[in-house]
Amino acid sequence: MVQPSLMLRAHGPARLRLTSTLNLEGVTIGGGELTPGAWGEGFVDRRHPHTYLHELMVTADDLLRDADGSARISLSAGKGFAPFGTDDPMSRPVLRYPVNHHLAQILERAVAIAAVHRRGISGEIGLFNGDEPERPGQWPRIGGRFGDSWAARVTGAPIAGLEVQGSHARVHSPEHRPGAGTDQSKWSLSGRWDGTLRRSPVYALVEWARTSEASGFFTFSSFLAEGAWSTGSHRLHYRLERTERPEEQRISHFRSLRPHLENSILGITRWTIHTAGYAAPSLVRGGVVLQPVVEISHGRIGKVGGGLFDVRQTYGKDNFWTVTLAVRAGFGGGMHRMGRYGAGASHDSIHQHREQQ
Amino acid sequence: MRQIGTFTTAAASAALLLAISGCGSEDDDGGPIDPPPSSLTLSIAGGGDNVPDRYTSDLWVHADYAYTGTWGGSFRNGNAGNALKIWALDAGGGPSLADSVIVPNIGTVSDVEVSADGEVLMFSAEQGTDEGLYLYSLVDPSAPTFLDSVHVPAGLHTATFGEIDGRRYAFTAKNPPDPALEIFDVTDPESILPAASVPIPDNYGIHDTYVRGGLAFVFAWDSGVFIYDVGNGIRGGSPTAPEVVSGLVTAGNGVSPSVHNGWWFHNPVTDEARYLFIGQEGPGIVGQSASGDIHVVDVSDLEHPEEVASFRLPGAGAHNFWMDEARQILYAAYYNGGVVALDVSGTLSGDLSDRLLDRIEPGGSGNTFTWGVQLANGSLYVSDMLSGLWQIAVEE
Repeated sequence: MVQPSLMLRAHGPARLRLTSTLNLEGVTIGGGELTPGAWGEGFVDRRHPHTYLHELMVTADDLLRDADGSARISLSAGKGFAPFGTDDPMSRPVLRYPVNHHLAQILERAVAIAAVHRRGISGEIGLFNGDEPERPGQWPRIGGRFGDSWAARVTGAPIAGLEVQGSHARVHSPEHRPGAGTDQSKWSLSGRWDGTLRRSPVYALVEWARTSEASGFFTFSSFLAEGAWSTGSHRLHYRLERTERPEEQRISHFRSLRPHLENSILGITRWTIHTAGYAAPSLVRGGVVLQPVVEISHGRIGKVGGGLFDVRQTYGKDNFWTVTLAVRAGFGGGMHRMGRYGAGASHDSIHQHREQQ
Repeated sequence: MRQIGTFTTAAASAALLLAISGCGSEDDDGGPIDPPPSSLTLSIAGGGDNVPDRYTSDLWVHADYAYTGTWGGSFRNGNAGNALKIWALDAGGGPSLADSVIVPNIGTVSDVEVSADGEVLMFSAEQGTDEGLYLYSLVDPSAPTFLDSVHVPAGLHTATFGEIDGRRYAFTAKNPPDPALEIFDVTDPESILPAASVPIPDNYGIHDTYVRGGLAFVFAWDSGVFIYDVGNGIRGGSPTAPEVVSGLVTAGNGVSPSVHNGWWFHNPVTDEARYLFIGQEGPGIVGQSASGDIHVVDVSDLEHPEEVASFRLPGAGAHNFWMDEARQILYAAYYNGGVVALDVSGTLSGDLSDRLLDRIEPGGSGNTFTWGVQLANGSLYVSDMLSGLWQIAVEE
């Protein structure tokens, strides 16, 4: 079972808000989910399980009430997403995780975020610990790490339904918890549209992300475009992704060497993947929603530059097909957009295209 | 990769330099003390493109044989780095493959060394269920026979002989997690005995050691270099109870210190043991590109080491060293940069780029990623990950 999540959103007194997501992948897919191209947190071609406490953020919203006119200012703190990049893929229509997950999101950190929203534009800045989780039960390392990394994001809504964002982050030693790893400089630009076309809900996202590591010695770029179109109770979705990833020394087919011993890699590969999917009408029984989903992907793997990594020697070929048959099960309200809090979530709405797992 | 030395605690630290002058490896050139050449030329003399089945790692040359390890961080032609290659050297010093020892259940032979008396071959191993320390007899140098091994979880990155108080030790670098300087008593090579375990900070841990004059220099990545008394007397340490003397974190030069290896230079011309050369292993793409400088640390006051100079080869990165101490020349493996020869005579300060004597990419562009270098029998031997074992002529 993948992406088993329980979300809770609560409003308290004095404009306090709680946003939380529990994730049980540590139990259900402790060895990761088979996903060619996925990487990060020591996994290769298997998407890593998330930490049990995916989000637990407390937000003091609209701190100045009317004193700041039409502006809305918030402070958020807890464990969650740094204000960088796009929403967690879990809250987007395509079931398959994108290769660019670690280029386009910064998640599961101890984070403090100040945000302001005014006249359709929001700005967020956050401090967090740079180290990424090493296992589902691990807490962010606060002592000695909190505040060693930062991110800032500006989001605008020039027309109804359209949201554009640009963000930048400096992340210290994300892949080595004690802090000896290389630093990353990250950029993200995206445009997202939620609207209707001929009375049918439509979602579209185009994003570009780039991570420069070790003072520019390594650079990984990603372009991704995805969309979903719903008609009646049917939904079609599609994603095109072209993302570069590091090829690290492996200790098995699906795990890379951790902890690191040095800062060398074997090469860089580029993954170009088309994914198309169809979600059938849902069955509703006693408040539980069951939605069959089929998804098919075709990917091509290319090598960028030199290095010892050999695509054909590793995989036997340079392209692949994957087919996914799944049933989404959910109950309660819709998912929130994972990755935004307080005034930074002013563009948020309960996701129209993804039922709660 | 490192020099073998002998030292007796009773000799006392006051006699350190005298003792050192006599502890040069029998493998080094040992020629007359001349000023460094004003010019020097490195050229191919033999070998090369001779290990197509695996990636080559470290080397050691002793008498008429050379031994090279293999690296398995990535398979080559489906093979892991589980082989030790044995090379016979002809009358001109040219290497030809004589045999291979395949070691089961390891993935990389990460460091190779022969004892000063030529009787024992030692190598460290990483990856696989039997990673650790291995000793082989060289009674027949063309056919090493297994003596003993010890399994070390997470593997050993390097192993260095040190002879102290009449006993022989292996100073080894245990990989993370829980990195440590692991010292073994290998006086009886058929029975490896643990002597001491010194935890090293987990900033990528420990990569290499250099043992000389009763001191063990521990090269510990972003924690810098630590100097331990293991029989010198300066702190009362011993191989079973090392005592730290001092430490220094060298400059990161825009990345991180990445302190990997070193050589404590005993200059017979000046009778000084002033400079410690440190290799910085910066970020790299194995087989293509590398980075990292040579850092020079003044250790004339062992308790207060100070970085005084550095050398950068743009577009390449430093790895293992060898020195022609008599001629005051440092040879550095430089990965995609091949091999660099530096004039290190006199006082070293600031940027040493004008000290470059010569450089050679033995396998040529795109076929060079040099791991190690050793001066022996009048030739420079080079182990290259891509192109194997080379003999390089050094001509003035």
